[in-house]
Amino acid sequence: MQRATAEFRVVFITALAGLLCLVSSTSYAESPRWAVDETDLAEGKKLFRVHCARCHGMQGKGGEGANLNRAKLRYVSGDETLIEIISSGIPGTGMPATRSPGVKGIEQIAGYVRSLGQLPAETPPGNAELGRVVYETKGGCSACHIINGTGRGIGPELSDVGQRRGLEYLEESLVAPGATQPSSQGYAGFLAVRLKTASGFVEGMRINEDAFSIQIRDLNGTIHSFYKREIEQLDKIFGHSLMPEYRVVLTAGELADVVSYLMSLKGES
Amino acid sequence: MRVFVAACLYLLAFAAVAEGVSFERLTAAKQEPQNWLMYSGTYRSERFSPLDEINTANVGDLRLVWAYQVRPSNVGGAGLVETTPLVVDGIMYLTEPPSTVTALDARTGKKLWTWSPNMADDVLHIGFPQVNRGVAILGDTLFVGTLDAHLVALDAATGAVRWDVVVADNAIGFALTLAPLALDGKVVVGVSGAEAGVRGFIDAYDADTGKLAWRTYTVPAEGEPGSETWGGESWRTGGGSTWLTGSYDPDLNLLYWMVGNPAPDWNGDVRPGDNLYTCAILALDPDTGSIKWYFQYTPHDTHDWDANQIPILFDADMDGRARKLVALANRNAFYYVLDRKTGEFLVGTQYAKQTWAAGLDRTGRPILLPDTEPTKEGTLIWPSLQGATNWFSPSYSPLTGQFFVATRLIGSIYYKADVEYEAGKPFLGGGQQALSGDEAAGAVRALDALTGERLWDFPLQSPPWAGVMATAGGLVFGGSNEGNVFALDAKDGAALWNMQLGSAIRTNPMAFAVDTRQRIVISAGLTLFVFGLP
Repeated sequence: MQRATAEFRVVFITALAGLLCLVSSTSYAESPRWAVDETDLAEGKKLFRVHCARCHGMQGKGGEGANLNRAKLRYVSGDETLIEIISSGIPGTGMPATRSPGVKGIEQIAGYVRSLGQLPAETPPGNAELGRVVYETKGGCSACHIINGTGRGIGPELSDVGQRRGLEYLEESLVAPGATQPSSQGYAGFLAVRLKTASGFVEGMRINEDAFSIQIRDLNGTIHSFYKREIEQLDKIFGHSLMPEYRVVLTAGELADVVSYLMSLKGES
Repeated sequence: MRVFVAACLYLLAFAAVAEGVSFERLTAAKQEPQNWLMYSGTYRSERFSPLDEINTANVGDLRLVWAYQVRPSNVGGAGLVETTPLVVDGIMYLTEPPSTVTALDARTGKKLWTWSPNMADDVLHIGFPQVNRGVAILGDTLFVGTLDAHLVALDAATGAVRWDVVVADNAIGFALTLAPLALDGKVVVGVSGAEAGVRGFIDAYDADTGKLAWRTYTVPAEGEPGSETWGGESWRTGGGSTWLTGSYDPDLNLLYWMVGNPAPDWNGDVRPGDNLYTCAILALDPDTGSIKWYFQYTPHDTHDWDANQIPILFDADMDGRARKLVALANRNAFYYVLDRKTGEFLVGTQYAKQTWAAGLDRTGRPILLPDTEPTKEGTLIWPSLQGATNWFSPSYSPLTGQFFVATRLIGSIYYKADVEYEAGKPFLGGGQQALSGDEAAGAVRALDALTGERLWDFPLQSPPWAGVMATAGGLVFGGSNEGNVFALDAKDGAALWNMQLGSAIRTNPMAFAVDTRQRIVISAGLTLFVFGLP
């Protein structure tokens, strides 16, 4: 195939990602502009696997392209924009135009993508209000996370984490954060790195990297930039998070409450 | 007297312009290092610049001279810039997605003219985005292939259309994205479309009239040699597209053209056999189109490993004997050297990670490992379907005998699915999910062209989509997905210069000179950048 999916690939982390940091304001999972029946969904699934799965994964869970198993997608404000994005792509990102399925086919793909975002609601395992208190006091989470403008931005912002992440993911993020690090274009997000230069050691999280430089944020929130030629040693610690493992900090009940609180965060202030 | 001399000079200059770029000039392109007369620089496709003003001692001073903003496509989306411009006597000719041709003053970057085809909004491009890789020139005429599968001849001075022929039917998936190759009185093109189940071919057209001179199908019809390698009627939708520019040996009068994957891509059950001449190189008689020899790199491909890479022609002594050779770093992760007169397989070595073959046998045929076929559940194999390299160009230095290739170190989970042919629709039979992020990487690799032995490696953050160009200044230029344009020391791969251009680079570098000053050209995102020394 011609550069085959060649074309579907672009690059790296935040600088060129775009699609992966899916956060937005308007759900497109309601009020469909067109009727989608079971046959359309089945056909949409087939077309999705042909046209989209190379980047978005066979189940739409993402890869080089965005994870679509979410009710809200960053660039999608409604059905019309979803169809426009599929058919015309997103300039400046790796999302190409896909016109070959035709109008009906694109609607079927959009219907299937929309169904990927309609996950059944999960039941919180604890008490969200109690969880908020634990988050703000014993957990000390706001030392590294921002919710609705409050806290410090060392780790990921959590204002809408309940919209973006499911129960299982959130539970694991608390008890074994190294196992569930978020990714961007497949790259480990918040990857712990330790590097040595002539000036000494620096530890932090990778923000961006290319063949010639790396940018990291340390636990004080300070951003450091290094040319690789200046680095004497660079260790990337995969599977390890700089976030504490909260199973040794919180009780099981407190963990369930914090997870419930996080699940309640839908992006509204 | 002064007026007379000026008049004579004017007439001489006019004569040179009127004559334009003759076949003789194309054949001797290396003698005009200030120009870049065809897609890969020369008929040998070395993508090597003999210019040496910019060299290992001063490349650190390289700076931007001018830039050109490619305009977004008027046919859905922005498209991608994959063009290699030509430069002819101070004028640059580039293409913009999807099929626009633009002439620029190579000194300043100022636009001289632009031509765009009148293309329908619903033009098909199944399996690839809307791109164009460049034009060819012969005489004072430019040739461009269009996404809707036309071949158009343009007046190089004004962009006016001289002729416009339909190469194939876009409604069933044919498209042209490659830069044509101009020969002696002919212009040769190949087609895209294997993902729509087309039957591929190579065409040669009369450069003056646009009349078809010959057509050679890459999938034999019933009764033709090679037809026994296709089960049933599968040849009718067998793919074998020819979407990248070939090479040419004027002495042997042989044209080398590469053939892409069989269709459907990932479900080989419906096309039992080796599926000639897919994933192969064809040596053609450019006068008739007849196939003089072929070599199939990946028989019965089920991973979409087109052989549409650039075949580089070089000469060397092998076992005490002077040989005319053709080298290819294949998408399937093996590097091959063939005798380009006979097609004899001489060298085959793995140059990138692969998990599908135990090696090559003495005829060059891959020794397959078990359980490497796509399945409904998925099979993880290296390289990914985009390959260990792809369309972007390798480079060969005749000064050092090095072969440079931008290499992709990435695997894919390959899936197989049921498939039925429907005209003008994707005909794939599966798909892939490529590894990405920290699980994938890239490199610029220098190989000994004669043996394939790796000489050095320059690591890249991710699998690249940009080609490389070596120069007589001892440099290798390249680019990364992360937006770095860079110059490496050809001797050891050390990075001597780089600049962040702010968007992914997915073109080939090229070089030219104007006012005797060397320029380096590469595009990133939708901008073409031209660099030079202060």
